[in-house]
Amino acid sequence: MGYYEIMLIISPEVETDGHQEVLNDLKTAITKEGGVVSTVLDWRKRRLAYEISKHKEGYYYLVYFSGHGTVIPEVEHYFRVTDAVIRYMIVSVEEKEFNAAAEKAAEAAAAAAAQAEKQEQAELEKADEATVIEESEEPEEVEEPEEPEEVEEPEEPKEPEEVEEPVAAEEPAETVEVDAAQEAEKKDE
Amino acid sequence: MRRDRGRKPKKKICSYCVDKIESVDYKQYEKLKRFVTERGKVLPRRISGNCARHQRQLTRAIKKARIMALLPFTSE
Ligand SMILES: [Zn+2]
Repeated sequence: MGYYEIMLIISPEVETDGHQEVLNDLKTAITKEGGVVSTVLDWRKRRLAYEISKHKEGYYYLVYFSGHGTVIPEVEHYFRVTDAVIRYMIVSVEEKEFNAAAEKAAEAAAAAAAQAEKQEQAELEKADEATVIEESEEPEEVEEPEEPEEVEEPEEPKEPEEVEEPVAAEEPAETVEVDAAQEAEKKDE
Repeated sequence: MRRDRGRKPKKKICSYCVDKIESVDYKQYEKLKRFVTERGKVLPRRISGNCARHQRQLTRAIKKARIMALLPFTSE
């Protein structure tokens, strides 16, 4: 049993609605071999440092799963048969990093929920104000309806920051860098 | 005036040690950018000041970041 992190880039040609489908198919591949997906982090659209299949940008996702090594070929197979994913990498991670990612996702979800609540609250307050203005009988001073203040979107992508591996870790557990990795390594020379 | 026979007297320190980072994360690619040249090459240890352990991790992290197009490959 091990802990793994998959970073994948979905083609910019795939509509946002299609992302869930990719992630679901990936999940299916993982669970097929008894793996368990613990966390999916949306790393959002990013500019690629170099073109991949003529694309200049892509949608990054991080998927964390635990399971046996037999899951990996299943995942690789899925990536090979789909055109939606333009690059991927599977690395094994320490349990600590694995858990940190899950915490991060939980925090992000909580922040999003809080944000949604705040927005709802703001809308309610606006509605109240509007009512007050309507009720006031004075025809003068017809106030311009205030611009609904933009409720700020939560900060940019939450980079999985400083997910550290445990102390005294000898060399990070062997890294499984597949296909894309090897291909890229060649270029690296 | 002090002279050091052309040697920079500035002491190099490993920033990953300073930040108490156990292992270099390829996903922190903004930080990795500090350790590559304009042409995308990894800065040698004598310039980066990194300790051997972190430099080794850094090299690996940069490789991964390149694979995932987070950092460019060396440009000639
Ligand atoms: Zn160090």
